[in-house]
Amino acid sequence: MQARTSALAPLYSITIALCSLLIAACAGNGEGLDGDGRPLESGGSPPPPLSADFASIQANVFTPICSVCHVGGGAPQGLRLDADNSYNLLVGVPSTEVPSVLRVKPGDPDNSYIIQKLENHQAVGAQMPFGCPTSLPCLPATTIAFIRQWITDGAPAAAAAATVTAHLAVTAIVPDSTEPVTGSPPQIMVAFNRDLDVSQLATHTVHIEKLAPGAAPVVTENVPARISAPQGNLRALLIWPSRPLAVGHYRVVIDAESSARFSDIAGQSVSIGAPDELGEPVLSTFDVEVVP
Amino acid sequence: MIQRLTLAALVLAVLAVLCAAPASAEPYLAVMTGYKCNVCHVNPTGGGLRNDFGITYAKVLLPAETVDNALDSWTGKIGDRLRVGGDLRADWTRNSAPNTPSQQAFSLDQVRVYADLTLIPDRLGIYVDEQIAPGGSQNEEAYVRYGSTTDGFYVKGGQFYLPFGWRLQDQTAFVRQVTGINMTTPDKGIELGYEHAAWSAQFDVTNGLANATSGSGFQVTSQVVYTKPIWRVGISGSSTQSDAGNRNMGGLFAGLKTGPIAWLAEGDIVRDDSFPGGRTLDAALLEADIRIRRGHNLKLTAEYSDPDRSVHNDQQTRYSIVYEYTPLPFLQVRAGYRHYFGIPQNDQQNQQLVLFELHGFF
Repeated sequence: MQARTSALAPLYSITIALCSLLIAACAGNGEGLDGDGRPLESGGSPPPPLSADFASIQANVFTPICSVCHVGGGAPQGLRLDADNSYNLLVGVPSTEVPSVLRVKPGDPDNSYIIQKLENHQAVGAQMPFGCPTSLPCLPATTIAFIRQWITDGAPAAAAAATVTAHLAVTAIVPDSTEPVTGSPPQIMVAFNRDLDVSQLATHTVHIEKLAPGAAPVVTENVPARISAPQGNLRALLIWPSRPLAVGHYRVVIDAESSARFSDIAGQSVSIGAPDELGEPVLSTFDVEVVP
Repeated sequence: MIQRLTLAALVLAVLAVLCAAPASAEPYLAVMTGYKCNVCHVNPTGGGLRNDFGITYAKVLLPAETVDNALDSWTGKIGDRLRVGGDLRADWTRNSAPNTPSQQAFSLDQVRVYADLTLIPDRLGIYVDEQIAPGGSQNEEAYVRYGSTTDGFYVKGGQFYLPFGWRLQDQTAFVRQVTGINMTTPDKGIELGYEHAAWSAQFDVTNGLANATSGSGFQVTSQVVYTKPIWRVGISGSSTQSDAGNRNMGGLFAGLKTGPIAWLAEGDIVRDDSFPGGRTLDAALLEADIRIRRGHNLKLTAEYSDPDRSVHNDQQTRYSIVYEYTPLPFLQVRAGYRHYFGIPQNDQQNQQLVLFELHGFF
């Protein structure tokens, strides 16, 4: 027994040495590297914020998250999602798991396999990123919305992205000055022509002012309000007065310290509302009339 | 009492039969017991469907408590030729990373069913491993096998997992991610295998994962393992020829039992020419499984990964502690904590994970 133990002594020593090495191993300090662990090039800039263009999705999603596995000669399904290869292997390419479905079908996010895999309604296999939600976080819905919008826009390569997108604009505000509203409106609705980036939205950045009759606007009452996006619809904003509005003349004002610019998920922004006497953007004016 | 004695006798009988033949299991169990993979699994390279001994071990030796009438006669066999089995893992997890809202969720990690049909006893069989949830159904393994998987040569043809290093339960382990060979990345081709006494060897020719889109190129993978009762050592190699760029990798792995602790170690190095200018990656794993008492296992893991050896300061490490409790036959409860350490500018490389898992199997 003793002889056996002494014969194994080198194995125990190797085990202890390996243990010490691995436990003592330190993660890199990241000095001189970008967020993906690649050397910073001189004059290099940090990745752009996430928006619905390919370069941004590559820099914020494909490279840091997907290409942990989908890279190099061992990429699952032959799908390499590093910056050099991802576009050519995604757009218009049949998926290997369901060849009848394209990985990215320009203009049709619902029938793009990448969306199906990210949203977990794929016909075959596991949700991506692999291991989510068990071993790592799934992509947030807002991130997937950016990828959806990029596909909806025709999945253009980065250089062409800006040319195909329409400018963000307000298409309607209800109520507005063209028609008085009978009784207190439960909410004010603002409609846009493109999906908004609601992650940029602050809840209490708007209020409603009651104005005295007269040529110059005199504020007689401030009604706090909150702003929100309706569930499942990123093309509208709802503004909710904190209490019913009595008969009178009102205007909806965005707080001066808050940004009056709203962004869509492609990163385009728009200023809404003309400035009032204090420089605060007025979103809408309307009259509340007595209920007959 | 009589039933327990009967089961114990059955275990001893199966052991007596199998000890003469080369014999493995879930890696730490294999190291702890000194068995080869094919002692407990139908697949000679391990994982998936359990054989008679694997099921009996799961009923009698693995759990903290044996239960009378708990599928006493169940061995996975339906008739003489068909054997079935399955695994279900349900989790509650909480992920947190710097500058990122935490995510927590109940989830179905996997539901898997296995079947093996013996066409000619000890010579010809068909094996299927199908993941049926979550998401869509996905075939993991499906192959025809000819020859002996316990002593001698065998050939597999179809789709199967490649033999490379420890076949770990955690497919996100650095050694399994860096090599790209794990139990989510089966490949199609043929495997020539050899099992005799302490030796196990495989030689595979497959399409290669990188060639799934291009349809050209191939991958050659080989592994040799030498198993002794309290230690084992293995060497693996793989080469992929691909239009995307060739990829070559090698690995060493070993297991050692010291008292109540099973040690697993693996080190891999990968040269991947599909990157501009090529890139050399490496990864290492050290795992200690401490058998507290029957049915209780404490798993400590330290991992290291260097995604590009020519770049300084980009290394990543990962440490895990997982308690595995098997209270009853066919049921395991796992609770664990994992901390990733990476470059500070990458939040995902510094995430933390808390995990609770229910694992049912048969």
